[in-house]
Amino acid sequence: MSLYEFIREDLIKVNLTVDNQDQLFETLFIEAYQRGYVKKDYLQKLKEREAVFPTGLSMGEYSVAIPHTDPEFIINPFIAVATLEKPVSFHLMEDKSKQTEVNMILMLGLNEPHSQLKMLQEIMTLIQDKSKIEQLLKAQTPIEVQEILKKNRS
Amino acid sequence: MKKILVACGAGIATSTVVCNRVENLLKENGIEAEVIQCKIAEVANRQDDADLIVSTTILPTQYKIPAVIVTAYITGINMEALDQKIIDHLK
Repeated sequence: MSLYEFIREDLIKVNLTVDNQDQLFETLFIEAYQRGYVKKDYLQKLKEREAVFPTGLSMGEYSVAIPHTDPEFIINPFIAVATLEKPVSFHLMEDKSKQTEVNMILMLGLNEPHSQLKMLQEIMTLIQDKSKIEQLLKAQTPIEVQEILKKNRS
Repeated sequence: MKKILVACGAGIATSTVVCNRVENLLKENGIEAEVIQCKIAEVANRQDDADLIVSTTILPTQYKIPAVIVTAYITGINMEALDQKIIDHLK
């Protein structure tokens, strides 16, 4: 399955305004929980995991974050996409003592360990593609985000 | 045969991509080694019969065997240097 097949229109948030990481996670969790994508414990587990193993990635000129947690809290696999009106601080995946300002979030709801390689490789390709990320950040509607990601299909 | 533990926080996302990259790297360099994907929390208990830890995330503790942090495989920055580092550990 490709990345595009995991994108759910109802889990795309464009120009979201949140004050901090907790608020960001809560907002995305409520959307996912109400639509039956995740179990109730997901939010707590997501926060715990982010605190111990952060998911901020500094790409040089921009930063993204790929928050996710253990597969047992996922009911239906998904990738939630959020672009932020103003950036939120994330700790770096490789160094918890450093922070980066993130305004592009890909929240991964995956429930099959050791699989989905193709889709994960597409995510890595996407987050390394500066022009694609710029396009996503400029998008004004969830449909636009979907269209940009559709073109990402390999 | 050498054994490599490829770890990330949840053992599901970034380690899947890195597992694939390490397997290809070994193949290209004619190195025979077993690659095992796991959560970083499991590494402490599995390190005794392994030779190298390759982790996309921070290391929560000290290990008896060498460990390489490979977040650069995710960001795509300076990946060749990491390839070399891993190969050097397996020689």
